[in-house]
Amino acid sequence: MAEWRKYYPNEDDEVEEDEEDSGGDYKISGRDSLVFLVDASKEMFIKGEDGEPSNFDMTMQCVRSVYTSKIISSDKDLVALVFYGTEQSKNPRNSFKHVYVYHDLDSPGSQRLLDIEKLLGEKGAQFAEKTMGSGETSLGDALWCCSNLYSDIKLRLSHKRLMIFTCRDDPHRGDGAKDRQARTKAADLKETGVVIDLMHLTKPGGFDVSLFFCDIVSPPEDESELGLQIEPSRKLEDLQKRVRAKELKKRSQSRLTFSLGEGVNLAVGVYVLARTATKPSAVKLHRDTNEPVRTKTRYFHAHNGGILLPNDMKRAQVYGKKQIVMEKDEVDKIKKFDDPGLVLMGFKPMDRLKLHHHIRPALFIYPEEEQISGSSCMFTALLLQCSENNLFALCRYIPRRNTPPRFVALVPQREELDQSQSQATPPGFHVIFLPFADDIRTVDAHVGPTASDEQVDKMKEIVHKLRFKYKSDAFENPVLQQHYRNLEALALNMLEPEPIEDLTMPKVQMMNARLGPLAQEFKDLAYPPDYNPEGRPAAKRKTAESGGGAAEKKPKVEMSEEELKNHVAKCTLGKLTVPVLKDAYACKQFGIRSTGTKKQELIDALTMHLSK
Amino acid sequence: MARAAKSALVLCMDVGFSMSNSEPGQEPSFEQAKKVIQKFVQRQVFAENKDEVGLVLFGTDGTKNGLAKDGQYENITVHRHLMMPDFELLEEIESELQPGGQQADWLDALVVCMDLLQKETMGKKFERLNIVLLTDLNVQTSADQLDVIIDSLKKAGITLQFFLPFPVDGEDRADGGGDGPGPSAAPARPGKGLSRQQTQGLEMVKNIMTSLEEEDSLEEVYTFSDALQKLSIFKRIDRRPMAWPCQLTIGSSLTIRIVGYKAVTEEKVKKSWAIVEAQSHQRDDVKRETVYCLDDDNETEVQKDDTIQGFRYGSDIVPFSKVDEDQMKYKSDGKCFSVLGFTKQELIRRHQFMGSQVVKVFAPRDDEHAAVALSALIRALDSLKMAAIVRYAYDRRSNPQVGAAFPCIKEKYECLLYVQLPFMEDLRQFTFPVLENNKKFTPSASQLSAVDALIDSMMLVEKDEDGESVDVFKVNHFPNPQFQRLFQCLHHRGVNPDDPLPPVEPWLKRDLERPQAVSARCQTALQDVKTKFPLKVVVKKKEQKTSADVFGSSADEPDAKKVKVDEETEFNLAEIAKGNITSVRLSCLKSVQIDAFAYALLTAPAHNVLHQSGNAELFNSYMQSLKRSVPDRNLQEFWDLLIQDALTLISKDEVDGSTFSKQDANQFLAFEQKEEVQAAPVQEDTGDVDDLVSVSCLFGCFNDKHIIYYICECNSDL
Repeated sequence: MAEWRKYYPNEDDEVEEDEEDSGGDYKISGRDSLVFLVDASKEMFIKGEDGEPSNFDMTMQCVRSVYTSKIISSDKDLVALVFYGTEQSKNPRNSFKHVYVYHDLDSPGSQRLLDIEKLLGEKGAQFAEKTMGSGETSLGDALWCCSNLYSDIKLRLSHKRLMIFTCRDDPHRGDGAKDRQARTKAADLKETGVVIDLMHLTKPGGFDVSLFFCDIVSPPEDESELGLQIEPSRKLEDLQKRVRAKELKKRSQSRLTFSLGEGVNLAVGVYVLARTATKPSAVKLHRDTNEPVRTKTRYFHAHNGGILLPNDMKRAQVYGKKQIVMEKDEVDKIKKFDDPGLVLMGFKPMDRLKLHHHIRPALFIYPEEEQISGSSCMFTALLLQCSENNLFALCRYIPRRNTPPRFVALVPQREELDQSQSQATPPGFHVIFLPFADDIRTVDAHVGPTASDEQVDKMKEIVHKLRFKYKSDAFENPVLQQHYRNLEALALNMLEPEPIEDLTMPKVQMMNARLGPLAQEFKDLAYPPDYNPEGRPAAKRKTAESGGGAAEKKPKVEMSEEELKNHVAKCTLGKLTVPVLKDAYACKQFGIRSTGTKKQELIDALTMHLSK
Repeated sequence: MARAAKSALVLCMDVGFSMSNSEPGQEPSFEQAKKVIQKFVQRQVFAENKDEVGLVLFGTDGTKNGLAKDGQYENITVHRHLMMPDFELLEEIESELQPGGQQADWLDALVVCMDLLQKETMGKKFERLNIVLLTDLNVQTSADQLDVIIDSLKKAGITLQFFLPFPVDGEDRADGGGDGPGPSAAPARPGKGLSRQQTQGLEMVKNIMTSLEEEDSLEEVYTFSDALQKLSIFKRIDRRPMAWPCQLTIGSSLTIRIVGYKAVTEEKVKKSWAIVEAQSHQRDDVKRETVYCLDDDNETEVQKDDTIQGFRYGSDIVPFSKVDEDQMKYKSDGKCFSVLGFTKQELIRRHQFMGSQVVKVFAPRDDEHAAVALSALIRALDSLKMAAIVRYAYDRRSNPQVGAAFPCIKEKYECLLYVQLPFMEDLRQFTFPVLENNKKFTPSASQLSAVDALIDSMMLVEKDEDGESVDVFKVNHFPNPQFQRLFQCLHHRGVNPDDPLPPVEPWLKRDLERPQAVSARCQTALQDVKTKFPLKVVVKKKEQKTSADVFGSSADEPDAKKVKVDEETEFNLAEIAKGNITSVRLSCLKSVQIDAFAYALLTAPAHNVLHQSGNAELFNSYMQSLKRSVPDRNLQEFWDLLIQDALTLISKDEVDGSTFSKQDANQFLAFEQKEEVQAAPVQEDTGDVDDLVSVSCLFGCFNDKHIIYYICECNSDL
């Protein structure tokens, strides 16, 4: 019954959907689920040349990163980890030999993450050998076991995926009966809506998919044979990328009609390919039991205390000393201009799309053949011709009911593949939001002297020295990373969070080294000798600082040796803040060197020194 | 600082009798000018800016101004002295601004305005003094004082704007009209139809304007229709961006002082709606209370103080107090604009711009060394087609970003444009099926050429006589329709509290449509596309669920057979079914099921049909009996569908004949939800697949313009 809801266009009011579902807070469409089915045969543990990690290790790292990312981005999804080809057996009814269910289908949490960590690296291989070992292989049994995992779940599952990680292209070594059984079981799984993917890994002599696995995996969704041409993954990075591309179910934010003109309508799905990830909001817990607490908001009459129903309230704004009152639905209706959809206004050359016309992250559209047949063909024709002529389509966009329109530029993007033949950029149009006049602010440009050719050339050298290849996924958000490390530390009872590497910080040492004398040479060309760009010109300084209070420095708290010794004696060093402790270093009055900056390390070092 | 600067402005409107004249089919100048003023004041009121506005009318029957003496400056009324515009002024304009029966010299009126401005701005600080004159110039003026007037305007630093019913220099402005939105901005009247006074007056306007300003002097003369068209002259929410002083650093030894300004950002409606009590319209009468309660059966309330904060970590919830969170969270070391490296511009994809703003970065005004250094960087980047990747933090409390600084070199200035770029966590790698090499979707050559023709006919960039290409649809010059509509409705409701909301203004609607010329031009191409690309709304036949799978494969299943409907049913089923129901799949149909099946069939389309036929009573009684049978017949699933679809009793609001109120109708389903919970276990007991008969039927239901088909399954006891 979950399926039919999808045919309700414009029903993107997720809040409503959530409320309708009595079962809890997951969406009505059900949960996503993912089973990792990992080969645990001896071959998987063979280390690569030059100490490269084994296929098993690589797989575990990949599994760990999926667990972490699920925890961060979609904690309701269910994940399972099952090994096949093991010596030991462990499964719900212990009816299958050589199948080891390490984790059954459940949402990942801190304990599971710890479990995975046990399987990482050299120690992990030993641990795996000890607990599971390597034995006979029956993929059919393994698949059967997995199908039981799915059927044991009482929750509604919307997307079921199973990934097989292996480096053996002929797991049963020609045992036709076992091959046949595996094929039958795979077919059964596929029948119930499970998508089976193969994440094949390197094997000496090459991995031949056609030998066996081509009958096991699900056909690629577009019927092109792209899926099987993919090279086996050699590197962790490749594997992670492949897994990541499949692991998330792509879901359209909405499905809309794209009207080219009277009577020419196609259907498109709107997708979000980039959205600012933020810290999830906090949950309120009961202090005594750590139980989650819900909030209820009520409105009541200030005088008679009666509960106010929505009908008893109106909305108001005050303008020009006058209060203007409207009904709630009038307030909503004001925002309605037309039905949701994309309406084509016309076309413009790409150079009319200004770099600075940016107000929010872009969306992506792709045809929905299932809603209006012929959409894909029309869409493809439009995509080809726009891209060919270097044009974008200008459209009016209304995302949902009672939402005011925005103009958007549809920028064509044709499909591109990377070296490993997987999709680097998908085919479709990017939806770029364009500003209205109100969104563009009047900035009085500063007009100043311009640089001479000599100065520009020197800067070019600097730019040249500091060149790198920008990749959009190269930077992690340090705020989020820190937040999750903190949670991880608390959840796993770690003494302190694992330090993060802040990739947004400039690598000053390296930059300086690369620049060498260039920076000074440029300064000599552009700045007079007495000029100090770090501070403000002396005359201006006062006014500027009184204007911005933030510039004021906190008075430094410095501790005398006596005071510190006092603290050491009373064991109260811990009450001091880290900055104060650090200051005790910074002055170098004690000449202590500490490798770390952690509080305990500082305290230890100080205590050592002062109690001498 | 500079932000506090405000301006004083006098609206000076001609209400003389000639303003009420109009050519057939045209709005009188008076009405047009009144609208311009209304729009302007409306904008001022709703933008809540601090500018002060006065209103002077000339051509009034009476006289009321500070200069009137000995028959001089007659028929000129100072309607409102300089003050912040408020709703009262809007109301006055709406009700009291009437055409007068006299004529007055517009130069005299100008003098009154100057006098007003000078007297009433005394002792206050204004950045700008401005007089806006709205007139048809159709009056005898005495030009002898012109030089004195120009002189004192100059001396007082007063600027002028004229709004006339006709363009200032005929054809020139008609097509060169700059960036006006499209072809509908035709001039009101050709220059030839002007009276002698008007021609003379126009000369004087030109004279004044050219002697007041050095260049582009006639830019400040608008036509009424032009002004109404592109009210952007007023209506933009104009916010002065804050300066953000910082230092651009490259490594540790190269630093350039910079100042950033938010240049583009999505402007939001400033005010939110307050909740007031429906009767008294008082805010204080509504009290809001938030309570915390445990998620148990009793919803046990918990004091706010007894709650702590936690975060989800996968399946765990980790208690994490605010204090701890603050202590452990990522600490940024203050504002910065640090270069991480330089990269090719082409590696930064336009669609990966994040955030909601673009920052323009300049060198500080007073620092020419910084200007030179920044200029060197801008020019170096520009010639190498590269951009700087920087770490940007607005201040100590804000989260750091990674973004790109692009070089931007304009005729008059240079700057860097900063845009935020994504973090790894922000990106979703979705793979989409191939389009281009998919045989099913590959367009034929004739289809491609049809699209090409369509594109050609729909280009929004045209060549003008000089071969320059001109953008005829500059959306960044359009006002945000949301604000326009909101202000229109607020204005309307404020002036007429009991009226329903007005329709969207035609010009606003027009702004949101394809330009007329383009629309006309593309008709043929569009027809061609329509015939060459078959586009059809898909009637859903989706894969069915479990039990349907089982029964669906059975051999005795009739292939999509037409429904045969019992004519004796209370409703005229056949008629309802016509057109709505295309096919029905019945797995196993036994006589008992007919009934349940009929319910399913009926409810959805019947709801609509009955709305039309007014036969609500019948429908409602059927629904009630259906409801009664839900627990007995295990129709929960089907009932769920009705709930999800909000298919309930037909209320009085919808059809007159109904005896149910809207609330009754709503509760009809809501009440059932509880009952459903209790009934659930019963269903489990009898839930043996073999005992169930699956009835899958396809029924349609109207939803706006589309017809959507649902597949629903009803399980019912044998």
